[in-house]
Order: sequence, then structure tokens, then C-alpha cells
Amino acid sequence: MNPMIELRGVSKTVRSGDRALTILHPLDLTVPAGQSLSVVGPSGSGKSTLLGLIAGLDAPSTGEIRIAGVEITALDEDRLARLRGERIGFVFQFFHLIPSLSALENVMTPLEIAGAANPSARARRLLADVGLTDRGHHYPSQLSGGEQQRVAIARALANDPPILLADEPTGNLDSANGRHVIDLLVEVNRTRGTTLMLVTHDAELARRTDVTLTMRDGRTERAAAPAAAPALAGAAG
Amino acid sequence: MGFILRMAYRELRASWRRLIFFFCCVAIGVGGIVALRSLVQNVRTALAAEARGLTAGDVYVRSDQPWTAEVRGRIEARAAEAGAEWTETVDTVTMARLPAGPRTKVVEVRGVEPAFPYYGRFTLESGAAYSPVLLQDRGALVGRELLPQLGVAVGDRILVGDAAFTIRDAIVTEPGRQLGGFSLGPRVLVARGALEETGLLGAASRAERQFLLRAPEESIEALVGRLREDLREEFVRIGSYRRTEDRIERNFSRAENYLSLIGFVIVILGGIGVWSVTRVFVRQRLRGAAVLKCLGATSGEVLAVYVAQVALLGLGGALLGIVVAWAVLAAVPDSLAAQAAATTGFAVVSTDLTLSAMLQGLAVGLLVSLLFALTPLLDLRHARPLLLLRQGEAPSAPLRDPVRIAAAAAAGAGLFGVAAWQAASLEVGAWVAGGFVAVAGALHLLGRALVRMIRPLEAAGWFPLRHAVLNLRRPGNQTRVVLLAVGLGSFFIIGVRAVQENLLASFSLELRDDMPDMFLIDVQQDQADGVRRIFREAGLAGAGAEPALIPVLRARVTAVTGPETAIEGRRAVRRAGFGREYTVTYRERLEDNERVVAGEFWDAGPADAPEVSIEDSLVERGMRLGDTVRFDVLGRAVEARVTSVRAVDWDDSRAGGFMFLFRPGAFDGAPHSYVSFLRGPPEPAARGAFQRTLVDRYPNVSVIDGLEIIRTFRRVLDYVTLAVTVVGLIALLTGGLILVGSVAMTRFQRLFDAAVFRTLGANTRLIAVMYVLEYGVLGTLAGVVGSAGALVLTWALTRQVLDVPWTPAPFLNLAGVLATAAVVLLVGVASSLDVLRRKPLATLRAE
Repeated sequence: MNPMIELRGVSKTVRSGDRALTILHPLDLTVPAGQSLSVVGPSGSGKSTLLGLIAGLDAPSTGEIRIAGVEITALDEDRLARLRGERIGFVFQFFHLIPSLSALENVMTPLEIAGAANPSARARRLLADVGLTDRGHHYPSQLSGGEQQRVAIARALANDPPILLADEPTGNLDSANGRHVIDLLVEVNRTRGTTLMLVTHDAELARRTDVTLTMRDGRTERAAAPAAAPALAGAAG
Repeated sequence: MGFILRMAYRELRASWRRLIFFFCCVAIGVGGIVALRSLVQNVRTALAAEARGLTAGDVYVRSDQPWTAEVRGRIEARAAEAGAEWTETVDTVTMARLPAGPRTKVVEVRGVEPAFPYYGRFTLESGAAYSPVLLQDRGALVGRELLPQLGVAVGDRILVGDAAFTIRDAIVTEPGRQLGGFSLGPRVLVARGALEETGLLGAASRAERQFLLRAPEESIEALVGRLREDLREEFVRIGSYRRTEDRIERNFSRAENYLSLIGFVIVILGGIGVWSVTRVFVRQRLRGAAVLKCLGATSGEVLAVYVAQVALLGLGGALLGIVVAWAVLAAVPDSLAAQAAATTGFAVVSTDLTLSAMLQGLAVGLLVSLLFALTPLLDLRHARPLLLLRQGEAPSAPLRDPVRIAAAAAAGAGLFGVAAWQAASLEVGAWVAGGFVAVAGALHLLGRALVRMIRPLEAAGWFPLRHAVLNLRRPGNQTRVVLLAVGLGSFFIIGVRAVQENLLASFSLELRDDMPDMFLIDVQQDQADGVRRIFREAGLAGAGAEPALIPVLRARVTAVTGPETAIEGRRAVRRAGFGREYTVTYRERLEDNERVVAGEFWDAGPADAPEVSIEDSLVERGMRLGDTVRFDVLGRAVEARVTSVRAVDWDDSRAGGFMFLFRPGAFDGAPHSYVSFLRGPPEPAARGAFQRTLVDRYPNVSVIDGLEIIRTFRRVLDYVTLAVTVVGLIALLTGGLILVGSVAMTRFQRLFDAAVFRTLGANTRLIAVMYVLEYGVLGTLAGVVGSAGALVLTWALTRQVLDVPWTPAPFLNLAGVLATAAVVLLVGVASSLDVLRRKPLATLRAE
């Protein structure tokens, strides 16, 4: 199976005054297409940094990252933006819907950026898929947290990306809403074959992915791989 | 492109309410530009359409001296050759008076022939049509303002010189009146022959003679050319109505451009508001921009979304400005427009907006909005999607970002460009842009210093005061911008009022002294003794010396020769800048207001050859000590050597000032007249009687009353003050809008703070007191900024430019500070009212 996400010797070091602080120690990771992977670990273990690097939101200090075969560390900001628009959907802990846009318009935005035909119809379908058919004209401030997160998932899926990244998607939700969001993400992974990688504190969510990667102090500890699909998780350093 | 516009539209839908105030500022400025430009363009169009009526003919030839037979012959020959007809006019300034009664009045008398005018029409008060018959048998038409001034009516008789004329009608508008020229008095129109008989046109009197020609259109150009060629060695002015047209075009273009700079300054003020609001707006939108980047939008696309918003709002503001201009012009009552048109001498002046004015206003509004928003918008580049994985504030952009500095420089250059374009002059553009930057920079620094000065209050024990001062320095505060905008407004208003007071004070100062307030001109040689006798009878010689009668002659320079100078021929003289007619005098000593700066002044003894002392500004035009200057004095050539150069203090007018002063002896036997600068009787009745006695006995003598000129000047000054005060009020209004806008911009933060305070036990009154203190302090600071600026302005203007003594106006400044504080307090608190009314829970939940 082709690897969808491939990291080779990727590390991240930041300078704080005179001191260099390594947030992520050199790491190799391969995620095959269609796999679901959860990253767990305590706060400050480097989970979100890893996710940010994969989404091209930040540049690694060493190593290279391939997304669907494309080496992204050499890309400039605008090429990265285009790549994200086409290949990666992102779901945030704090939803990050644009407050001045209605739910429907939030979902339409990535389609419009990509210049897709008939964005409104597709966005409506996506909203229906997440169970928000009637809420399209509502603004984020008029939606509950769970609803906002479902709109965010619909938005992340707008361009039908092969990869879906989620940063603590249930971290800001109660358990009922959290379960609903988990169901949605798992379903997306199953039915669309979207590669899913998520960072979570939620043990239930982690159990429902193919592979769980545990991180501590910027290193991967172990990969718990349920029988369903083998994952390659190499830890170095 | 579609995405950018759609996004811009959606964002605007949510935020326009908060941004609109700033674009109202743009609207006010654009409104000013469009209204002023349209008005001036309309007047210009009306004038240009009547250019022939202004000249009253196709071609004119004018001279200050009587026509010699030779010149007359040449003009007539050229006119006949071109198939033109001609008529003559004579103009002079003299006194009009009644056969009985004390009133006298300086008037401008014009003598015309029956063929006058070739173009243009008289409007007479009775509604009757003009006909030369009205002027027959010593008939006169007079400017209608003369009737109440002399207390006469149509049908009465007035005396002009020695002759009595019957007023046959009053003139409302007349053709052939110089536009915008300084007028010494109302028009009196009589037949040319009758004017010649008054004895007013003696050799030494001032009169302008004019040939008016009507020629076939195609021959006008050639006729003017030939006349110029033929008469190039004569002191005559030749032109056609096209020249009038050109002059109107030139003068009005200049007026239009300068006036619209006023609007431009207000647009810039609005621009500062745009800059400030964009900064806050961008900070609030950084997260949204990061989301867009995360969804695949490039930096350029994100920037374009916000640039498009600013452009749309700028366009909206400019369009609103056009509506404002339209409303203002439509509000001008027709009667007023008609009256204004009539005073300038035209039938109709349209109050429609012109297309070019609208397009210019639109362009300026859009450009200024974009230029001012550019630098803050560039911060959107620093909206990094990584930000979305963390909570908290975005890192602020580096200060020394080269792109930002380059953008700021480009915006500055762009503003200079727009200013230069609006003024149609690079130099004026540089002055306006530079002056604005300097004033704004100075006020800004002063504002900063003041804000720093009140910092100790942050440790005040009184809670509301402490928080009021802290609010002025909260992150994203608008303090500096409000200080600048409101301060600039009060600066204009206080400054102009103070300058006016200083000017008026300096005038009354001059009048308190022994400064002259009355001028006599055209006293003939044989009248000198009689005039002196009248001085004595009126008791003018009482206190000090008797007012002097100064002998004057009118002379023209025809050549200047010397070791380094060779100016020969009238054309060369004109080019060197000596072409005008000079009033010259002679005496054997220097006056108190003169001192010699080069050469040696003559003694009382007789001279071998004529000598002349020149005023030092003539040296700058190329006349040198030791040069020989040839003068034409009433047709006689006089050559005199320059033996000294004098500096004249022109402000001290007791003895007058002369560019050329001759050693006595040069004009023995030449006909000349006298002028006198004197202090007339202070009491109005005695003053009137004195003028009356003089003119009764010597009808050719003109008495110009300085008090009347000062009254006129005061009126003009009042108008100017009113105009600048209106500009200041608009600037203050703009400042008020910026204030409202900045309150709206920071509203969310305020709502949140107020909610927290309430939760912690503060009641509405406490919060209200906090706001009152905050805006009270802000208003006082703005008032101090404006007032201090005004003090500097008045000092600089009075001492450096107007050269009058500077008197500070403490009450005016204090009142200015208080008024500014009151305005800011009211506007600020009023726009925070809803914060006071909100229930805290709703706000905290929303957070």
C-alpha cells in the first residue's frame, strides 16, 4: 500500500533566548493510505507540533515530510496553502469557524478558494452528511459547540481531501457531542477511505482508530496496533 | 477573483457598522472636494461663456496716457484694414457728491460712446433696456450701491468734477467690468464727451483710456498680432476676449485646485482614521486569515480579500461624499445663487455637480483609503495557520519589517502624488503633504508626551480615575488617533480665531497712533495752498506738524544703462520687470521710515545733473548703484543717475513710500500733482464736513477714507474666518466621527470589561463615572494639543508672515480647551451608552 504520510528524521527545535529546546526528537513515521491513527500523550509531549508539521503549518528543523508523495519541506507558503487546500482537511479543538460567515459559507469557503464548480450545492450536501441540513444560514455564534465542530468537519471534507487531520476534535465538547463527532470521523475514514490522523486525550476515540501512537517529551513511546492494520512507527533517538 | 469578492462582501456584511464611521470621514472630505470643484467649474463655465461680455469687445488696446495722434492713427489704420469697428472708453477714479449735503463718495467713472458695448448686456434696476440715449444731456447710470451711500434716488443730480449729472437708472450688472479687480468705488457711467468736459482728465490725473474693437472672428488673431508689432514701443496693453477667456481659465483652475485642497486635508484626516481602524480590524481578523490559509488560500488571496473590503468601503465613502456634495449644493437657495451670480455679473450659475469633479472625488476617496490601509493590512501576512493550534494572542509583527517600511514609503509618496495632482502643482503638493505631515507629527508627539505625563494617575487611589487613565493606554486603544484628529480640528478653529484677533488688534493699534487714516490724491499745483488752508481750518495742524503735501509725478522707465546693465527699449524694460508706471517724488532729505543701504544720499545743495535714489528691491531686479535710468515723465525724457539705494519701512505709512526718489530740481517746470497722507478728524460729522469742503472746492481731488478700507478689510477678514472656521468644524466633526468609530471598534473589549466589573460589584454609576473621566481626560488632552498648536501657529503667522505684534489670547485658548473637552466627553459617553445598559451575563456567555 502507498504511504500517504511519510516522515524521515523529522525533528523540531525552537530557541528560547540562548537555550535550544527540542520539542520533537528525530522521528520516522509512515501512515498508509486509508489508515486511521491517533496520537496520544500528556500535554507538551509534542503531539500538536507533529500534526502541525504534517499539515505544513510549520517547518521541521531537520528531516523531510512527504504528503501523498510530495516532499513538502521545500515548498513555499503559497504552494503549501494550495497543497492543504487540495490534499488535507483540518479539524481544530477550538473549531475556528470564521465568525462573520454563516455555516454554509464556512463550508463553501475551501471550495471557492479551489475554484470548484457549484460550491453551494456541494456544501449543502456536506452539511446534510453531518446532520445540519437546517442550520446552514446560522452563524457560528448561534451554534452549539458540537454543531460548530460538525460544521468544521464538513468544511474539512469540502474538497474531498485524501488526508484528514484533527487536533483534539472532542477536547472542547461534552461526551454526547464528542461521541457524535467521533462517529463522524470514523465513518469518514471507513466510507471515503480518507487517511485520518488525530491528536487526542480521549481514550475512547483513540481505541477506535487503527493505530495509536503514544508520545512523551517529544519522543514516540510505543505504537499499539490493533490487528486490523499494521502501522509502521519508528522511533529514533 | 470571484472568491476574493465574495469573501470581501461576506466580511463587510458583518463588520461594516464598525467601519462605516471612518469612511464617513472620507465621505465628508470627498463631499468638500466635489462640491467646491463643481461650484468653481460651474462659475468658470458661466464666465467663459460670457468672456466677450467681460471684455465688451473682441480686441482691446489700453493705455494710462492720453492717445497721441500717431498711436491713434496706427490703431485706426489697423482696425480699418481688418474690417473692424471701434469705440473708445475712458476710466477714472474721482469723487461724487451732491449739489447740497455733506456726503461724498469715491466712484469709478467710465465715459463711453454710443457704440458701447459691442458684447454683453446691461441689467438696469428698472428693468428697462440700456440705450445710449440714457447718457445724453449729462445723464448718468450709477452702480446701485451708490444710491443708499449718497442718499439719492433715480432722477436726482450728482456732481462729478465740476459737472452735474442726472441719475437716469441704477446698474445691476454691466459688461466690460474687470473681474475680481480691486474696486475703489461704485460705477458711474456717463457719455465720454461729457466726462472730457468735467476737467477731470488733466495731464497729471490718472485715467485709463481704451480702444474697443469689434472684428470678424477670423481676423482677431492677426489684428492683435499686428497691433502688438506696431505698438511694441508704446506703453499700451493689447489683448482679445480670448485672453480674458484664458485668464479666467487660469485663475479659476488655480482657485479650484487650491479650494479642493481643503477637502483633501479632510480626506487625509479620514485616512488617518482608516489607518487606525484597519490596524485594530486586522488584529481582530488575524485568526480568520489564518483559517483561510489553512483552507488553502495564499497570502496574496488573503490580502486581496481585505484590500477589496477597504476599496469597497472607500468607494462607498466616496459615493456618499458625492451625495453629500449634491445635497449641499442643492440646499443653496436659488435666490442666493441668483444674487451671487448677479453680483459677479452673470445671469446663471448652475449648482449641478460636474462629472469631472465627481470622478476626481471618487478617485481621491478610493486612493486615500487604500494608501492609508495598506501598511496595517500588510500585517495579515503574519497570520500563520500554526496560530490555530494554540490559544492566545498572535505574535505582533516585527517593527522593522522592510516590506512594511517600503509600503509606508510608497503610501507617503502616493499621498504626495495625490496632493500634487489635486493642487496641479508639485510644489504646492509638497508643501501640503509636508506641512500636513509636520503638523500631524508635531501634534502626535505632543499628544504622546501628554499621555505620558498623566501616567502617574495610573497609581491614583480613586478607582474610576485609575481605570479611566488605564483605558487610555489599553492595547488597541485609539487615544493617539483621537488626539490627532480632534486636536487638529480644534487647532484649526482656535488658531484661526486667534490669528483674526491678533490682526484686528494690530489694526486698532495702528489706528490709535498718529497713523494716517485718510489719503488725498490728485491735488493740482495751483490747489496746494488752498488745500493747506483747509487743513488748518479743520484743525489738522493742531497737535503736530501740518500734514505734508507730497509732490508726485507718474513716470515710466524706458532704459537702464550702466557698467553691468543694458536694458534698452520698452520690451526689454517690461521683461526686466520695470514695465509698470511708477509714482515718483522728489525731496532733499530722507523720511523717518527710510535709510540708505548703499551709496550716498544728496545734500541740500543744487545738483549738476538729475540724481535718483532707488528702493532696494529694485536692485534684485537688476538696477545697480551708478546706473543711469531713463524715465518717460508725461512724454518728457529724464535721465538720472542712481546715487543711493534706500530701504523703506513700508509699514510706517506716514510719509508714504516711493520706489524712485529724485533729487529736487529734476522736474522743475513739469506739471505734477500732490498726494497727502493725513489723520482726518476723528468725529464722523467733522470727517464728512472736511471731505465735503475739500471736494466742493477742488472737485478733481479724490479723498480715500482709510477707515472705510479698514471696515471693508474687516468684513473680508470675517468671511475668511468664517470659511476657515467651517473647515475647522468639519475637521472637528471628522474627529468626532473617528471618536465614535474608535469606541465602536473597541466595544467588545469594553462590554467584556464592564461585565467583569459588574460581576465584581461595580454599579452602573461607577462605570459611568469611569467613562466620563476617561473621555474628559481625552478631550482635555486633545484641547491642549489643539490649543498649543494654535499658539505656535499664531505666533509664527503674526511674527513671521504678517509681521504684526503677537498677543496671546489666553481666554480664547482656555475656552477652546474646555469646548473640545466637552465635545469629546459628550460624544464618547453617548457612544458608550449601550455598554452601560447591557446585562453582564449575556456578554460573559458570548465570550
